[in-house]
Amino acid sequence: MRHLAWGIMLAVGACRSVPKAEYSGDLSGARLPAATVRPAFRLTTTAGDTFDFAGRTRGRLTLLFFGYTHCPDVCPATMQNIAAVTSRLTSEDRRRLDVVFVTTDPDRDQPDSLGAWLARFDAGFVGLTGSIEAVEAAQRAAGIAVAIRAPGSRDYTVSHAAQVLVYSPDDSGHVAYPFGTRQAEWAADLPKLMERWKAR
Amino acid sequence: MTWWCAATGTPWSWTWRAYPGVWAFVLLAGLLAWNWGRLRDAAPRRRRYFAIGMALLWASLDWPLGTLGGYLASAHAGQFLLLAISAPPFLILGLRDALDTRVTAGGGLDRVLRFLAHPAPAFLGYNLILLVTHFPDVVDALMATQAGSFLLDMTWLASGVFLWWPVTAPIRYHRLRPPLQMLYLFVQTIPATLPSAFLVFADYPLFKLYEISPRVHGSLTPMYDHQVAGLMMKIVGDPIVWIGIAVVFFRWAGAERRADLTASGRAT
Repeated sequence: MRHLAWGIMLAVGACRSVPKAEYSGDLSGARLPAATVRPAFRLTTTAGDTFDFAGRTRGRLTLLFFGYTHCPDVCPATMQNIAAVTSRLTSEDRRRLDVVFVTTDPDRDQPDSLGAWLARFDAGFVGLTGSIEAVEAAQRAAGIAVAIRAPGSRDYTVSHAAQVLVYSPDDSGHVAYPFGTRQAEWAADLPKLMERWKAR
Repeated sequence: MTWWCAATGTPWSWTWRAYPGVWAFVLLAGLLAWNWGRLRDAAPRRRRYFAIGMALLWASLDWPLGTLGGYLASAHAGQFLLLAISAPPFLILGLRDALDTRVTAGGGLDRVLRFLAHPAPAFLGYNLILLVTHFPDVVDALMATQAGSFLLDMTWLASGVFLWWPVTAPIRYHRLRPPLQMLYLFVQTIPATLPSAFLVFADYPLFKLYEISPRVHGSLTPMYDHQVAGLMMKIVGDPIVWIGIAVVFFRWAGAERRADLTASGRAT
């Protein structure tokens, strides 16, 4: 019952953040009704460096996902599916792509544990953390529902938006990928996303 | 209340889960078959066969394997191996005497059993079910609900009856001599190579259900899980059938030896 409730909340959160999305012809993701701007926020990498998201990813294809390492379902499945595809990209294409994971549970996701968790999928994924206020500000900047921590002392869950936001080389977001996007769909779409909206 | 194992999408844990529908099915089916087969008075080996068959059936349907079947393609393949390949021959052998004596010759059931003992319908029946129930869309749709999962399990059990009936049926139904029975069983292992190969060599996971289901173990990726499932179908499934071939061979060789001894006894 608890999981059902959280599932409904997640679904509501996802719907809130991608209003009236329509599925576009040759892309598996949901086309946004209007292009969004690459969000500006500063957080800390797993190495302890400051990461200016808008500045560091400017002009590059970027997948942005908000989640947490203790997530029992959505986060590992999403990151694993993306990693399964990025590992097969040519080294040239891989260099053109950033995958950024922002923790919504900075209390438990310390830089070292976050880094180790992401390295299980792909050592090239960027992990970001910060104060809870900074992480919430990043979610608001990205235009998604702010994650909510469930009551509980130790093994709490965090309800968070489940979609992967995609920012194209033109520094705009045109499409978002809901939870359940398959590896084959990522494999088909990533090359298109690299070419579709070029840097201006 | 969850009555039958199916994919729930809830995070995996090793906490025991109760499936009253599975217990009721196993209990009811077991009691009905026990009474119909008059196993109380049957030879001990018939009771042993029946008990092994029921135990395999139960193990395939209940926690943990039945539950894992909603999370992992490899566990799903394990269920198939138990339900379709392992349990049916034991269940048929357990009820063999009753199938011989309690089925009225010339009746409707007798005609069906006689038809199924022919290798062609048995081959088609088993492999049609095998191929259809391994289509990704079919698995994704059926495993999402308890009723669908129940239907899939029962279909697999029925496919096992198709597979084994021509070699385990009472003697009056036999259409094949032992050498042909062995050939028949060997040929039955060939079509499974197709879904097995698709699982092993596909570029990306075939079943959406197992691709996005909550992870059971971090290092068991969906792709690896699919490959294990595909390999299990051949590396585990085929040897089970080969054991059946070996049993047929040794029983045939024993019968031939006894016949030779009898013949030589008569000659002297």
